[in-house]
Amino acid sequence: MLRRSRTTKKLAKRIDLQYFTRPHAFRRWRFWLSVAVPVIALGWLVTQRAQGGQKVYSSGPLSASHAVFTQQCSLCHLARAASFSAQVSDQACLSCHDAPAHHANQTFTPACSSCHLDHKGSRLAATSDSSCSQCHADLQTRDGQPHYAASIASFAKGHPEFSALRPGKADPGRVKFNHYVHLQPHLMGPNNARVELGCDDCHRTATGPDGWPYAATFDASQVSDSVPQGLKPASLVAGGGAAEAAPFPLRQRYMAPVTFSQNCAACHTLQFDKRFGNEQVPHEKPEVVHAFLLKRFGEYIATHPQAVHEVNPPDRQIPERIRVPRVARNATEWVQFRTDDAEWLLWSKTCKQCHSLSPDGGPLPVVAKSNLTARWLSHARFDHHAHRMMTCNACHANTLNSRETSDVLLPGIQTCQQCHREDKPKEAAEGRCFECHQYHDWTKAKRTKGRFTIPELRGVARLDTP
Amino acid sequence: MRIDDTHRKWFAGSIIGLAVATAVYVLYSVRSAQGPRGGSALGLTFGIVGFSFMLFAGLLGLRKKFPIWRVGRAQSWMRGHLWLGFLSFPLILFHGGFHFGGPLTRVMMWLFIFLFASGILGAALQHFIPRIHTAQLPMETIYEQIDRVRGQLAEEAVRLVEEACSALEGEVSHASELQRATSASAGKMGGLTVASGLQADEEVSTQLRHFLGSEMEPYLSRAGAGGMSLSDASQARTMFQQLRVLLPQNLHSSVDDLENICEEKRQLDQQSRLHKILHGWLLVHIPLSYALLLLGAVHAVMALKF
Repeated sequence: MLRRSRTTKKLAKRIDLQYFTRPHAFRRWRFWLSVAVPVIALGWLVTQRAQGGQKVYSSGPLSASHAVFTQQCSLCHLARAASFSAQVSDQACLSCHDAPAHHANQTFTPACSSCHLDHKGSRLAATSDSSCSQCHADLQTRDGQPHYAASIASFAKGHPEFSALRPGKADPGRVKFNHYVHLQPHLMGPNNARVELGCDDCHRTATGPDGWPYAATFDASQVSDSVPQGLKPASLVAGGGAAEAAPFPLRQRYMAPVTFSQNCAACHTLQFDKRFGNEQVPHEKPEVVHAFLLKRFGEYIATHPQAVHEVNPPDRQIPERIRVPRVARNATEWVQFRTDDAEWLLWSKTCKQCHSLSPDGGPLPVVAKSNLTARWLSHARFDHHAHRMMTCNACHANTLNSRETSDVLLPGIQTCQQCHREDKPKEAAEGRCFECHQYHDWTKAKRTKGRFTIPELRGVARLDTP
Repeated sequence: MRIDDTHRKWFAGSIIGLAVATAVYVLYSVRSAQGPRGGSALGLTFGIVGFSFMLFAGLLGLRKKFPIWRVGRAQSWMRGHLWLGFLSFPLILFHGGFHFGGPLTRVMMWLFIFLFASGILGAALQHFIPRIHTAQLPMETIYEQIDRVRGQLAEEAVRLVEEACSALEGEVSHASELQRATSASAGKMGGLTVASGLQADEEVSTQLRHFLGSEMEPYLSRAGAGGMSLSDASQARTMFQQLRVLLPQNLHSSVDDLENICEEKRQLDQQSRLHKILHGWLLVHIPLSYALLLLGAVHAVMALKF
């Protein structure tokens, strides 16, 4: 029989009524931990502040281009006089990047940081489409008449066809060229050899170590020496090739311009008289060619005075013209007759094969400007090098059947949209606006003056507030 | 605190709040130009509301320090602490766009994750363990008084044994009224010789004292005392049964009392263990919350600056 009773009264007597006035181990631990942990947190913050400046307050990693001054927050976060705020202003950006505005007639200019958001670790240039579509989705201009498509939300939504491919547009080039013929097998190549051309025989982003396969075989300096100084064209002056002077990555981006000496000269030779064997006239303006012929025939008759009385056989190379052999009475007349014959051959056959020549009222014809389009996408950038894993026909599908000079062989926007998509960014090529377009007109950029030393940039030295 | 029907309004409010915040965040993240970020208007709103909830949750400690303040019922504060604290976590995630950001914010987010996890654990423990208390520990006492009560139990056990030994050794003056009344039952019982109630039996008395000294006192004097025979209920039952066989029937009530004392000690040990589980998480939760509020305040100020 249980004798112990547990009445409330008995239980109450067991309790020390002052127990709560004495600290219990559990409460002591709770108190001291509640003091220690915040103190440790504060200590960590102070240590970080002492070691890394204000980096501890950073909201994320800086972009790769700004990462070098991670420790120097005040480079961008300019402190303002009598103000607590040190938010990034355009002034800080513009001190290093003089980024010209987009268009003179744009209705507003967004703040730099509204498009280029740093502290996300990504590329600053990789702006979101909405940065562009905030204007281009409903384009307004100061003069009220947008010159471009007025509603573009993204590459997939509202982007018009490339301007060169819109109805009524044609290749403005004046050099007669038939891609279909040039891509046929068994073409007559240099030295009467049969060849089959590939796209990259004429179209390359840059001159590689193997050079151009159908480039001129003659020495350009000899031609240059034969041209009178006043008529010497820019292409024959040393350092005249501006495209080759561009940095390599840029040279890789665009196709090198097609030129006669690089791409045509090996097959399309410019011989002018059998007396000179394979010697060719310079591929220059008629005035230059004329001067060259006078000089070369003058030199020839000086060393061959007996040739004045020789009768020239009819030139069978020009069937449409029956030439009456003319006998010169002196060397001057001989030079004039031979020059006349050579020019007749050139103007009516050799040059005419590719160029449009028209009479100018004078003795020499006028050659229509070639007007070759160097960049088809005038408002966008394109990088052929980035697309090098593809066949040319994959995009330029019409080329194989193109017979007319006026054919525009630029691929359409749908070709690009097969790969450049925004809906599945992880499974497609970049499809945002910045991939092709630039907001800033860098042609109007001004030179900025450097202001910082390396210790200042690295955060080792203190910045002097401007 | 048990999460029962009285939490229904808080639960519904929190779910609605969470749904609204999630919907707003999804729309905002899809439509925002540069993706969700803390510095945008909506990002700041999420941050301010989330930090306000955290502050409110943190004020519970202050409310408990001053129970006489007329600032609402303690239970309402507790419910607010639970549900607003729960809601603050997704709001802060929305504030940061699910990014942990730089060094300070990263530390804060990890603190918050541990704080939130400890809070969820604490809420679950507070929901279930009190039921175990009620069902399994009828002899529980105030946690802080367990040591004191344990001492009293030890004293009570010594007194009971001394009384029984005195009775066995014939010292009637020390025998209780009950022992005296039952002394007549001594004699032969079922062929076994049973000691008479007040008959001197020094050998049994020695064994009883030995049991007290070797088993009960060490068990009662030590907190926990895991591994001792008496800490196991079934072993203890066997031991006390053997004691009953050894002692005359008139002293069985003393054995019952001793067994009851051991049972109370076991329950106090169990209470102590449960209390540590029930409140141990606070050793993580409370210090982390203070650290987080401190760093959060620094973050708020510096974020406004930069």
